[in-house]
Amino acid sequence: MAELNKKPEDFAIFSGIGCSAKTPHYINAPGMHTLHGRVIPFATGVKLANPNLTVIADGGDGDLLSIGAGHFVAAGRRNVDMTIIIHNNGVYGLTKGQASPTMPRGEKTKGLQRPNILDSLNPVALALSVGYTFVARAFSFDVKNTKDIIMKAVKHRGTSVIDLLQPCPTYNDINTKEWYEERIYYLDKDPTWDPVVKDATSEASEEKFIQAIKKSLEWGDKIPLGVLYQNDLVPSYGDRISDHLLNYFEVPPSSSPILNEEGNPVARMETIFTDRLIRR
Amino acid sequence: MPLVDIDLIIGGPQGGGIDSAAQIVIRAFSIAGYEAYGIREYYSNIKGRHSYFHVRIKETPVRSLRYPVDLLVCLDYESPFVHMDDVSEKTKVLYDEDLINTKLDQVLTMEPETKKHVMDKLKADGFDTTLAGAINYMKKKGATPYPVSFRSLVVGALGPNKPPARYANTLGASLAMALLGLPAEFTSRGIESVFGKKKEVVEDNEKIIKAGYDFVKSHNNVNIKELPVRPAKDKYILTGNEAVGIGKVIGGLKLQTYYPITPAADESFFLEGHDYFETSMGDEIDKENEVLKNTGVVVVQAEDEISAIAMAISGAMTGTRTATGTSGPGFSLMAEAIGYAGINEVPVVVTLYQRGGPSTGLPTRNSQADLMFAINAGHGEFPKIVYSSGDVPEAIYDAVRVFNYAEKFQVPVIHILDKNLANSFFLVDKLDYGKVKIERWKLVEDGENIERFKFTDDGVSPMGLLGKNIIWLTGDEHSELGHITEDPETRDAMMVKRMTKLQTILKEIPEEEQVELIGDLTADVTILSWGSNKGVILSVFEQLKSEGISANLVYVKLMNPFPAELVSKYLSRAKVLIDLENNYTGQLATLVKQNCGIDVQNFILKYNGRHTTDDEVYEGIKRVLEKKEKKVVMIRGA
Repeated sequence: MAELNKKPEDFAIFSGIGCSAKTPHYINAPGMHTLHGRVIPFATGVKLANPNLTVIADGGDGDLLSIGAGHFVAAGRRNVDMTIIIHNNGVYGLTKGQASPTMPRGEKTKGLQRPNILDSLNPVALALSVGYTFVARAFSFDVKNTKDIIMKAVKHRGTSVIDLLQPCPTYNDINTKEWYEERIYYLDKDPTWDPVVKDATSEASEEKFIQAIKKSLEWGDKIPLGVLYQNDLVPSYGDRISDHLLNYFEVPPSSSPILNEEGNPVARMETIFTDRLIRR
Repeated sequence: MPLVDIDLIIGGPQGGGIDSAAQIVIRAFSIAGYEAYGIREYYSNIKGRHSYFHVRIKETPVRSLRYPVDLLVCLDYESPFVHMDDVSEKTKVLYDEDLINTKLDQVLTMEPETKKHVMDKLKADGFDTTLAGAINYMKKKGATPYPVSFRSLVVGALGPNKPPARYANTLGASLAMALLGLPAEFTSRGIESVFGKKKEVVEDNEKIIKAGYDFVKSHNNVNIKELPVRPAKDKYILTGNEAVGIGKVIGGLKLQTYYPITPAADESFFLEGHDYFETSMGDEIDKENEVLKNTGVVVVQAEDEISAIAMAISGAMTGTRTATGTSGPGFSLMAEAIGYAGINEVPVVVTLYQRGGPSTGLPTRNSQADLMFAINAGHGEFPKIVYSSGDVPEAIYDAVRVFNYAEKFQVPVIHILDKNLANSFFLVDKLDYGKVKIERWKLVEDGENIERFKFTDDGVSPMGLLGKNIIWLTGDEHSELGHITEDPETRDAMMVKRMTKLQTILKEIPEEEQVELIGDLTADVTILSWGSNKGVILSVFEQLKSEGISANLVYVKLMNPFPAELVSKYLSRAKVLIDLENNYTGQLATLVKQNCGIDVQNFILKYNGRHTTDDEVYEGIKRVLEKKEKKVVMIRGA
């Protein structure tokens, strides 16, 4: 926050339900700890009402990709200017370690009665395919890199999503800190890696999209970290609103006057709803 | 007694311009100085199924309908069959003579159950199961049929190249108004008021109007008395959906979220069409702040109702007046988030348009069966306001009121209406802005460590806002600061703080906004009711009065917290007490029993999804009074 040159009250930090959901209570900035699966719509509502706020939504992998999967898909299409962090640990920790949507089929962590019966989904590929304009991955034990990625994500105008690999030391005894450290590598160490879409043609975005999808399939011996895809050329939802609500950014909903000094409304039926008037 | 009191039905296929035909009729009569009211009945279907408009026209304000109708305009082959019991000796029946040989079997749009009921009735009276049989059935009831070839009239007026079906609605409306004796000039202005002044459209319509009026003039076998033109003033024609939308905008709505659902979506759709507009803070302020003049409402189509309510809740925490609108199935999905708004004391408004349930139920039909659900939506105990409106003027003012309640008491408000109101047309005057005040919360100062949930005597804490204060919100039980706590003493104190608001609300909302007693306290009969039946009940009271029976209506608007003392005061004097609602169990009567200990013994109920009419309410009251029936079920409507 300090490095972004913003005051705490310029932020709104959101979370769903689960271990990651305690996040807002640990930060000295306005926070809203919401409902299981619903962090994205709660975060969206605040950003639409007050586009001047910097909005970050923290959710778990179960939160965002299972119970809240519909919202996760819709958010990609909407491109509201906010950041979504998937705290991805493969398990439902608060309810004693059930398998989450990112745990592969056949794995048996110590909390499970028998091996996981469901296939896992690929959060990065899902995010790409539903239209997220900034998709990145980070590893929580690399604090500096994670901070850099979050800052890039926050600066992106549009919805940015970070797949944050975050071991659960209590219930996930497979995807441990050491397990990750043996596999992760940084995409930006390769000087030829460039995830940013340079022009608005569909060919340009398609090339970066395919490159990112390919990288998203790397999971096993090698796990890539960093920005996988970035497209700053897609108008944000706020930009789209301002196409018809011309003063949307100057006078957003949260600061639009609604009453005059006498306490009477400033919006009048006679000026707004003339099409319903029958003139004699 | 008024000289003019006309009920008419225009029936035709969904998507066949029935709405426009009804608009033409209402607008034309309004321009000629008459009052009108109408309601739309339709299937859950895009095109083809039978829909109809029931309209009433009077010289004095009108807000109810009755059977039998005076005029039945059948624009399709289904109308004569499904409305054949809606007529009497006073009814004129206009139908398409080219369809006269249609067999009931050939009416593909009709449901098999309805077909069987019609067939049984026709057979029982010895009529053919054809359209001719249905016409003869109505003739036997004394109705006068007016056969018209729609096709030849359109071809005669516009030539063979225009599709007759497209003009069925304007022709039907023209024929109807010619038969009713409205001078053609007003029909023409009514059509122009609906379709605009585009030259080609106007020219075609003028020819159609002339064809309609000429036909009635030349083929009419009775004299048609021309209706007198009355002094008229400008009026708004508004549905319940639109009234709520207008009230919200005047009340300061800045963010509306929704997921498409019948019969709520029309409100949001209407708002989308009026989302950018000019406001005025007063001349001087306007001059200095040019940018403030043009603002609007952000209307968001969410991915589902859970998202819609979540966006509205968080939006409200920025100091924005936010609302969402839905109906039963969507409201069911919102229940968890309403509890979140409850524990976080969020001033959010949910407009709930009831339709027939349970589950998908009767998606396009009326119901008042969600009262208990609205009051109890969300697990756990928390204060919320449930507030009801029953007609269009009420809906406008109440849409402002509910925002005020939400912010003043920092609670979620469910503004409960029904499909009948959503889809009925009222003519209303300009707003009385003296009656419209905007009241907001006590706001805390800027700064850190704001106690958003500070303990207070009335339960209402100073408001903290995202974007202004550093505050925390959580669905967990929390401290005054908004951080999670499971400390038992804090829990007790928070429960008391929140639930105290229920008393605060009853104390601070003016009595007349809670319950209305309409009529004399010592009347012979007392009706307990709510919502859109208000107009019908008051209309029937006039009829009873002419017979020497006095009646009063205890009309409840604040449903939660329930104004038990006030309702008890009004009901305790009742000589004969009847509960009248559009549900099976008499939910308002249940609330009265629960809160006032008064056991309502008599019921007039309706749950077939169709609008309640004067004749059946009158009959219901008579059956309770004279035959001592305890429960009358109203069954009218096609």
